[in-house]
Amino acid sequence: MNVVFAVKQYISKMIEDSGPGMKVLLMDKETTGIVSMVYTQSEILQKEVYLFERIDSQNREIMKHLKAICFLRPTKENVNYLIQELRRPKYSIYFIYFSNVISKSDVKSLAEADEQEVVAEVQEFYGDYIAVNPHLFSLNILGCCQGRNWDPVQLSRATQGLTALLLSLKKCPMIRYQLSSEAAKRLAECVKQVITKEYELFEFRRTEVPPLLLILDRCDDAITPLLNQWTYQAMVHELLGINNNRIDLSRVPGISKDLREVVLSAENDEFYANNMYLNFAEIGSNIKNLMEDFQKKKPKEQQKLESIADMKAFVENYPQFKKMSGTVSKHVTVVGELSRLVSERNLLEVSEVEQELACQNDHSSALQNVKRLLQSPKVTEFDAARLVMLYALHYERHSSNSLPGLMMDLRNKGVSEKYRKLVSTVVEYGGKRVRGSDLFSPKDAVAITKQFLKGLKGVENVYTQHQPFLHETLDHLIKGKLKENLYPYLGPSTLRDRPQDIIVFIIGGATYEEALTVYNLNRTTPGVRIVLGGTTVHNTKRVHGFHPCSGN
Amino acid sequence: MASLDDPGEVREGFLCPLCLKDLQSFYHLQSHYEEEHSGEDGDVKGQIKSAVRSHLSDFKKHRAARIDHYVVEVNKLIIRLEKLTAFDRTNTESAKIRAIEKSVVPWVNDQDVPFCPDCGNKFSIRNRRHHCRLCGSIMCKKCMELISLPLANKLTSASKDSLSPHTSPSQSPNSVHGSRRASISSVSSVSSVLDEKDDDRIRCCTHCKDTLLKREQQIDEKEHTPDIVKLYEKLRLCMEKVDQKAPEYIRMAASLNAGETTYSLEHASDLRVEVQKVYELIDALSKKILTLDLKQDPPPHPNTLRLQRMIRYSATLFVQEKLLGLMSLPTKEQFEELKEKRKQEVERKKILERRATLESQQRLEERRSDLVSHATNGEVVSLRGGPAPLRKAEGWLPLSGGQGQIEDSDPLLQQIHNITSFIRQAKAAGRMDEVRTLQENLRQLQDEYDQQQTEKAIELSRRQAEEEDLQREQLQMLREREREREREQFQAASLHMRTRSLDFREIRPFQLEPGREPRNHLAHALDLGCSPAPSSAAPKTPSPSLALEPIRVWSGPPALGQEFFPQSTTSQHNEVPSLNPFDEEDLSSPAAEGTASPPAAEPSLGPPACVLKEYNPFEEEEEEEAVAGNPFTSPDSPAPSPFDEEDGHPHQRPSGPPVPGNPFEEAPCTNPFEVDSESGQEGEEPIEEELLLQQIDNIKAYIFDAKQCGRLDEVEVLTENLRELKHTLAKQKGGAD
Repeated sequence: MNVVFAVKQYISKMIEDSGPGMKVLLMDKETTGIVSMVYTQSEILQKEVYLFERIDSQNREIMKHLKAICFLRPTKENVNYLIQELRRPKYSIYFIYFSNVISKSDVKSLAEADEQEVVAEVQEFYGDYIAVNPHLFSLNILGCCQGRNWDPVQLSRATQGLTALLLSLKKCPMIRYQLSSEAAKRLAECVKQVITKEYELFEFRRTEVPPLLLILDRCDDAITPLLNQWTYQAMVHELLGINNNRIDLSRVPGISKDLREVVLSAENDEFYANNMYLNFAEIGSNIKNLMEDFQKKKPKEQQKLESIADMKAFVENYPQFKKMSGTVSKHVTVVGELSRLVSERNLLEVSEVEQELACQNDHSSALQNVKRLLQSPKVTEFDAARLVMLYALHYERHSSNSLPGLMMDLRNKGVSEKYRKLVSTVVEYGGKRVRGSDLFSPKDAVAITKQFLKGLKGVENVYTQHQPFLHETLDHLIKGKLKENLYPYLGPSTLRDRPQDIIVFIIGGATYEEALTVYNLNRTTPGVRIVLGGTTVHNTKRVHGFHPCSGN
Repeated sequence: MASLDDPGEVREGFLCPLCLKDLQSFYHLQSHYEEEHSGEDGDVKGQIKSAVRSHLSDFKKHRAARIDHYVVEVNKLIIRLEKLTAFDRTNTESAKIRAIEKSVVPWVNDQDVPFCPDCGNKFSIRNRRHHCRLCGSIMCKKCMELISLPLANKLTSASKDSLSPHTSPSQSPNSVHGSRRASISSVSSVSSVLDEKDDDRIRCCTHCKDTLLKREQQIDEKEHTPDIVKLYEKLRLCMEKVDQKAPEYIRMAASLNAGETTYSLEHASDLRVEVQKVYELIDALSKKILTLDLKQDPPPHPNTLRLQRMIRYSATLFVQEKLLGLMSLPTKEQFEELKEKRKQEVERKKILERRATLESQQRLEERRSDLVSHATNGEVVSLRGGPAPLRKAEGWLPLSGGQGQIEDSDPLLQQIHNITSFIRQAKAAGRMDEVRTLQENLRQLQDEYDQQQTEKAIELSRRQAEEEDLQREQLQMLREREREREREQFQAASLHMRTRSLDFREIRPFQLEPGREPRNHLAHALDLGCSPAPSSAAPKTPSPSLALEPIRVWSGPPALGQEFFPQSTTSQHNEVPSLNPFDEEDLSSPAAEGTASPPAAEPSLGPPACVLKEYNPFEEEEEEEAVAGNPFTSPDSPAPSPFDEEDGHPHQRPSGPPVPGNPFEEAPCTNPFEVDSESGQEGEEPIEEELLLQQIDNIKAYIFDAKQCGRLDEVEVLTENLRELKHTLAKQKGGAD
């Protein structure tokens, strides 16, 4: 259950199957993202793939000495582009791979276009999703729903993505979905339909306990994507934004040219791999160690380069040194920028209040804190609106709810209409009326005692008190206690044992905080393997993606 | 599941989850897993096989039908073209030409086509009908295309030359048609009048022209291999050669550098030169590819340039990566030295091994007599109750095994000798492959032997440790009392401190508190240390002093934090005498190592000493032989544990409260940066300034970090550092201008 590995396997297989010789990789917009998540340029260069082209780019030159590997989504446009390409082939030979199921008629029209017999392979390789972390995938769909229902185009994309994931992991799962969400039910049905239709594809070796696909809807927990995060990966995404492993640093003041855009990939950046789940304070000290290490390896000054042997050693070590210096400067820049943003936006204080809003039930203190922060000039309008959103979500039905007053404060602070509108949108999206389960007040005795004990002990870290709701859901699921009246099975059969392989998909997007939760669950629960996915990976800036009517 | 319920099946230890082999230690298990099972992720393995679907057969079926049609079409055109050009057009009457043309393909009736099928214009007297000579269809003048004779010749002759005009990956039916056409090519009828208009061209429609042009392209491509392909093929050949030769060389160099005489130095250096030459060739080839056609008049397509750049880039990557692993060879003199050293080492090892066996035997005897006396005393049995006999049994079993091993070890050694002589012979015969395998064998044997020795030693030491439990318990009692007293004192001190900690917003564990005071001291010390640094320009001198400083501060927190707990200082002083015996033992161990004289066994001295003596030879070995390192590290760990238990506690106790090292690490560590960077700026490379900037950023991050944790005094220190850094940066910039 490693999605990065699964996709990488597919790509490697494609390249291997094409044999030796210079190669070009022909992709579409989406598959470019898919490939770039699992392979770096230098890695793929070693396999003789020298050019990367988009199938829709018009000014490709005829290069008959190249072999073409086409990795495309099976869309109508792509098939048409490919037909044109085959009519007048630009490369000597074509290996065609579709990232999902392709219709027989499309195959036929492609075959008829291949008059010069340049096609050597036509296959389906189910790498139709973005593998973010080994246990986290995304479909990069923003604004997947219209109101409470699916945009039909996106529904079919989500179905394709999800079925491709199942195929690539070789899972034919039982499906559970969140009853309160119509969208979840629709998607579950669509996935089931595909499984039934393509039954011969889904015939895998049966495991003792069948795998489980759980489909959730973001609206059940609108809180999590609104919180500031303090682990490295999540923080980078929240404050700088990660897009297919790429981070845009061009807005960083005084950034050097080659650091405008950096790639953070756990696959080939050891430091990142080791630190992505650590919190910011720990990273500070780790980066210091990295620096020290770097200092040691740093070529010493001239006096040490006296002998020829020294020079030779220097030259031989230089590439390694350069590589390390690249890593060091990248992370130092990223962390530096993070800390700059944190202090500039007063995020520590903001985060503390956010956590209070999310995890505690003291209305008057929360209100007081929100009010206080709204007065602070350092708090950005975005953060201010976010605090009010959290307040609105939590104390929506509280007897002394003073949301109107806070909205007034927002207006006085000069927060723009766009952001103020978000507050009502979020409540509409994820308010109590919509939620299938209660986010804030625990109902059963066990949970109450737990919270009581937690209150008694005090909190270890005020900034990371919040546990995403997903944790509870998964915890119940693993223990076999997830209520069937809230999360019913699709179809008559139910799981009798505790599930082992679990795929969770969140319509409306997952967050890195949830990814961290899943990572920790995977580590601490032996025998259970969880993969998390979402229509996208959220940060607060994408919050408007919650609800397309409000965005833009 | 069922097997777990069965009591007979319960196994403990470091079992590999896949092959259930017991690997003895965590590290062994880890390395075993990485070596044996890393490739087989049970989940994804074989996944590719079933989770793909091929449409190739379907595709081929559809294509075949289409291709037949297409190929027939092309060949038909070429046959007709050949007929049309087979006679001397320039010396034939146009009427005759027309007759021949009409005989090749029947022309469509004029009346049937009132409009041009391509552009839709109506035919009239002005807009006359034209016939395609290849398919007979009608079009207007505008839509008419012409085929020149040279092109026609090229098309027909190419098909004639190569009987299999192969254009595609799979077998095309072209060839069949090609040959068939060749037989018809003899058909030719001549004699005609001059055709004033089309004497050197043939009229045709766009569709036929298109098809023929495609065909021409195919012919061109087949005959032409671009330069880049030729160069690239050479480049790949070179890379393959490197992949073959480099590992061989690395093996040789490693062996030579270790002072082994398996390979000859000359041979290795020859190989090195060879490999380096290949690298140069790769470099040259890739450079050539990079600059290919650059100066041509119509500059090449940007994609071509990109391809060339990429090839060059990947070649550089390749060279960089592989060249890094290419270690240097020792010079002749060095090699002699190495050889000598190696010989000595081998000798020494042999002596040590022998001594070890002797010692262990001695020890065994002593232990045995000891045990007997204990048993007669009845103390062991009475104290331990149930488990005692069991343990005894456990203790005795391997012991007898150990004795067996000592006898067995002789054949093992003999085997080792044999193999060394084999190696020598093989070397003389110049059979390098054999030498390699033999050496592998030898190494394995030696490892095996070493391992046996260590196991023996461990077993012994463990038993000794067990026996001395009694004595230790008594000591423990004494120490316990001591500790009790100290704890009381400490609690008093901590209470005092908690009141102070209330000042801070965050709830911090009080242990951190005592750290603060020393840190300030430290900061001062560091500041002092770094201020002379820039002027002294000797980067190394300040760093050791800096390193020492914190240690001194560290070891004596009570001294610095006297206001906090004056009592604890005294308590530690009280502690000191009780620690002394152990300290002495610790000290004695290196001495024993140095002299390497087998100390007389004194059971009364206590077990640790014995353990140490037991270990010395092996520790030395470990240093000498990196290969044998692995087996040693893990068995080592259980043995020292009694030490940890014994003297770890008293040590930790006094220094326990201020343990969290973070505040300490933080301050001294930032400073070496500063010093380094200052010395670094003399390196006049542009990187240095960047580094300085990075460090500034870095320190900013620490400041944030410290702020977040509420360590306010640290923030002060760091800001001071930051200021200093900025100052240096400004100075450097000033100097550069």
